[in-house]
Amino acid sequence: MEKGEFEQGLNFNRRKFLSRLSLGVGSAALGSLLIPDLFSGKAGAEDAIMDALPHFAPKAKRVIYLFQNGAPSQLESFDYKPLLNENIGQELPNSIRGDQRLTGMTAGQTSFPLVGSYFKFNQYGQSRAWISEIFPHTAKIADDICIVKSMHTEAINHDPALTFFQTGAQVGNRPSMGSWLSYGLGSENSNLPAFCVLLSRGSGNGQGVYSKLWSNGFLDATHQGVQFSNSEDPVLYLKDPEKMSRDERRKMLDQIASMNDLNYKEFNDPEITAKIQQYEMAFRMQTAVPEMTDVSKEPDSIIKLYGPDCLVPGTYAANCLLARKLTESGVRFVQLYHQGWDQHGNLPNEMALQAKDVDQASAALITDLKQRGLLDETLVIWGGEFGRTNYCQGKVLADNYGRDHHPRAFSIWMAGGGVKSGMVYGETDEFGYNIAENPVHVHDFQATVMNLMGIDHERMTYKHLGRRYRLTDVSGKVVKDIIA
Amino acid sequence: MLRTSSIKTLLENTLFIWMGLVLVLAIGSDLILLPNWIQVIGRSHPLLLHFPIVLLLLGLLFVWIPGLDQKPDVRSIFELTLLAGCNFAGLTVIAGLILVNEDYDKEVIFWHQWSGIGIFYLCITIYFFRHLSRSLLKPSSLILAVGIMLTGHWGASITHGEDFLLAPMQEKESKIPSLAEAEVFNDLVLPILESKCISCHKEGKVKGELRMDLIEGLKKGGKSGPFVLAGDFENSHMIQRIGLPMDEKKHMPPKNKAQLSEDELVILREWVANGASFNQKVKEIDPENKLFILASNKFEAKKTYNFEAADASDINSLNNFFRTVNAIYPGSSALEVSYFSIAAFDPNSLGELRKVKDQVVKLNLNKMPLAGVDLSVLKEMAHLEEIQANFTDLDSKQIQLLSSLENLKFLAISGNPIDKTGVQAISKMKTLINLYLWTPSLSDAQKKTIQSKLPNTTIDFGFDGSGAIFPLNSPEITFDKMMFRDSMEVVISHPIKTVDIRYTLDGSEPDSLTSLEYSEPIWFRKTGTIRAKVFAKDWIGSPEANFQFLKSGLTPTNYQLLSTPNKQYRGKGVETLFDQIKGQNNHTTGEWLGFQDEAMELEMKLDPNADYSELVIGMLYHEGAHIFPPASVEIKGLKNGSWKTITSNIPAQSKKVDLPRSRFLNYDLSVGGYESLRIKLNPVKSLPKWHPSAGSKGWVFVDEILLN
Repeated sequence: MEKGEFEQGLNFNRRKFLSRLSLGVGSAALGSLLIPDLFSGKAGAEDAIMDALPHFAPKAKRVIYLFQNGAPSQLESFDYKPLLNENIGQELPNSIRGDQRLTGMTAGQTSFPLVGSYFKFNQYGQSRAWISEIFPHTAKIADDICIVKSMHTEAINHDPALTFFQTGAQVGNRPSMGSWLSYGLGSENSNLPAFCVLLSRGSGNGQGVYSKLWSNGFLDATHQGVQFSNSEDPVLYLKDPEKMSRDERRKMLDQIASMNDLNYKEFNDPEITAKIQQYEMAFRMQTAVPEMTDVSKEPDSIIKLYGPDCLVPGTYAANCLLARKLTESGVRFVQLYHQGWDQHGNLPNEMALQAKDVDQASAALITDLKQRGLLDETLVIWGGEFGRTNYCQGKVLADNYGRDHHPRAFSIWMAGGGVKSGMVYGETDEFGYNIAENPVHVHDFQATVMNLMGIDHERMTYKHLGRRYRLTDVSGKVVKDIIA
Repeated sequence: MLRTSSIKTLLENTLFIWMGLVLVLAIGSDLILLPNWIQVIGRSHPLLLHFPIVLLLLGLLFVWIPGLDQKPDVRSIFELTLLAGCNFAGLTVIAGLILVNEDYDKEVIFWHQWSGIGIFYLCITIYFFRHLSRSLLKPSSLILAVGIMLTGHWGASITHGEDFLLAPMQEKESKIPSLAEAEVFNDLVLPILESKCISCHKEGKVKGELRMDLIEGLKKGGKSGPFVLAGDFENSHMIQRIGLPMDEKKHMPPKNKAQLSEDELVILREWVANGASFNQKVKEIDPENKLFILASNKFEAKKTYNFEAADASDINSLNNFFRTVNAIYPGSSALEVSYFSIAAFDPNSLGELRKVKDQVVKLNLNKMPLAGVDLSVLKEMAHLEEIQANFTDLDSKQIQLLSSLENLKFLAISGNPIDKTGVQAISKMKTLINLYLWTPSLSDAQKKTIQSKLPNTTIDFGFDGSGAIFPLNSPEITFDKMMFRDSMEVVISHPIKTVDIRYTLDGSEPDSLTSLEYSEPIWFRKTGTIRAKVFAKDWIGSPEANFQFLKSGLTPTNYQLLSTPNKQYRGKGVETLFDQIKGQNNHTTGEWLGFQDEAMELEMKLDPNADYSELVIGMLYHEGAHIFPPASVEIKGLKNGSWKTITSNIPAQSKKVDLPRSRFLNYDLSVGGYESLRIKLNPVKSLPKWHPSAGSKGWVFVDEILLN
């Protein structure tokens, strides 16, 4: 539809609304129900902002977010605290703990015995980063990643923390990071969705993931994350039925589009155009997706790089491989969720297994992108929603212990896409409880990601119900020190 | 009482005082030392100068009024105005001469000073000779007017800078250098000095005797001391002053002028901290340093391209679903082109890019089938800097063409077969900064050659799989159902097609040398277990996958339960036992019949014509849920009218709590000839002592009865 026609349609809408107004104020309220976009503030001002994106030259064109769901313990991965090993069983001093609230699970504990890492740490790379022995492959790529040890958040439980990380607020109903990027930058490849989500499950104690985390919130429905299924057919119902030819499918879509168009001419509901666009994209995806998800042609060295699990659909390794293929094909934001990191108990066993699931494939992803020359324009992030406590939940045994949730300090790593490589940013205190240097709040992290994608996080807003929302809500400072 | 005439006389007389002072000050300024309070009078020069300009110009206007002599009132106004103007001119000149004693450069002042003095004397002359003929008066008034304007202009140049008047019209050609070429002083520090400091610290206006427009001036310093001292904040006056609070007198820049921004303060401080060098290049600074970060933000983020932008309609016409053409960021004239969708690739589409050949900077052709495609259009792209062509089946001719592109800085051609000519061609690309060459076709020697020929290039050869030995994952065994009637096809598969699948049917562990090799689906015709592993060169053998398949070839003609299962675990009654559906390891699914208080008793009528050889009972064991193997099993057969015990035994009992699992009890019926069978399974009456609930009643769970 021509833009001019569209505007005229909106004008027509307004005229209709005003004429209805003559029936009384009550119908004005009714009008908003009949024409849902009337008070949404769409078009117009937003267009002006849209046209100007990205705000400045981007460093990264795409993001792959390897989300470790359940909160992996930073004390057994990237934050080396020998003091805890020396003082196993001792009480956590009150001066360190301050007024940090506790979860319902440990609030009842009378003692908070410190416990050190069961796994050994070593230093790697030029940055002399400390990485534990259960992440040997990540240790090998220490020169390519930037570890941020001073992340902090306010949320203490999984649902609000996940929501906070993905949408910028602990309450729900807001668009997720990928949706914002899809809204702001769109997909490079118009044959694939801009935002894809891949799930996998580890053997450890898992917490759920739900579609709220990749929802489009109040943005247009086209910006929703597309969840790929864990079977041989990643996108369900994409294939045509057996006897249907592509031409027939095309004819069918054309007919549906013309009917939808008639409807649109009468109501000018943007959701109708969104739907037509979705059908068209599905049609193009029918050719784009199979050629991209075909893993049979991957050379042997790739299989060795990711581990043979990468050919088994539904595993983390297979999702990493698929993420690389999606990125190669121009998908703007690929998000992986790997569940099972919530080690309240049995940490040494479960964490070793979880690490084994993700270590090789995450490192392989970085190496694979690098050898194709794609790492400079792809931002890869690895991390969970909060950290774990330095004291034990339950009894401390020599080879078994658990840790509770800890929002005050945790670690993530980032690579590629304009982030400095071979760097460790931020420090925690010797107890691994508080941040000593360079705190990075979740909003700061989100602002930085936006900045690397060429977007000023304060300028990309969306007006909804009278308020201008943005991913970083009301705070957030770009962490310039980690930007190359 | 002051009459007009007496005022006039007074003013005429004061003129002489001014003239005298002017002479003294102009000629003898070097010999005079003026006290500070007199300097204050000098400071009023910018204030005073407005009066003579207005009054004199106004007065001169009167000269041009026709018939002035005939209007005595107007004439007297004329004279008064001119007189006042002359007086003010005198005061102005005196103030100016006093001001000159401060820090002004004598050369630039020269013109302004002497023309100012000239105006003063000229206007006095005009005044005292005003009664002369009009023919002289008019031209001299013009000369005076011009003189006033020139003096004014020169004065403004001193205060505001040479180009003040025409500055808005001038186009500032600020070429932003790249990060590699940028210099600390010239590109970071100097622009700050030029915009915020030089207006008062340059030739012609040298406040504090500090000239910032020349490097010698900066090195020399000013009245108070050195401008900057390398690494020394205390004695670097510039640093001191820019750090003072705004209210301090010595704070620089002065309160009323534009102040330095945060970034600019950092740049200046870091410059001094790093040695205040005038020659240092930005890239020599430590990357962690704030100065470097600021510099890289400034120079890299806004890398500008100087060529003209392409026509917007051309760009739009080139955009379709399979190719995107857009600016690398809004406002830039540089374009990047990306191709998507292998199936839709059209080799001729590259030629269409000729419309924007001067603007394309980046080209992404990853995975597109470029075999045999004509790439000559790339040679026409004068500004092409980056090509991504991974996995595009390039041949050596195409690689040679790529190697001839002179501006290319970034090349990714992983996944392409590279032969000898290709290696030679690549080795010539000295201008490359980044090269990605991950491909198995290169030998180590060839990699070394390329590396040595391209010393300035960062080359990534990628991961070739060597040195890493990993275990394979288990094969997948696919089948229709776990229980089959006559025969069943079993397929073993593995995602990696080139592995070697080995299996056994006799219950032994498969190995890579002696076991059966899988090549086609296996047919099971009787109950058996399959165990399979995969092996491959350079891999560790996989863990085992195994399955047990049950043949239930024969069914009894009639069957009925003689006892009733527990209310909660009735399933579908006796049908559950013959539905050929294997229950899962969970007793609540309804696929199992559970017996606690009563023993399980089943009677089956057998088909006289069939040959029964074995009986299999499918059981569930789950000690945690009190489900145990039966305490005893009795199987009786009806033969010739009487019941004979076939088997009465005690199956292996559990010793500890274990995970729920299903097991089979097998009984041989080969003796044969039975008309009916009766099976009785007695549940454990009291759980053994090791069980947490020792003493309670046990359960027996059955799901299938199979006859073969």
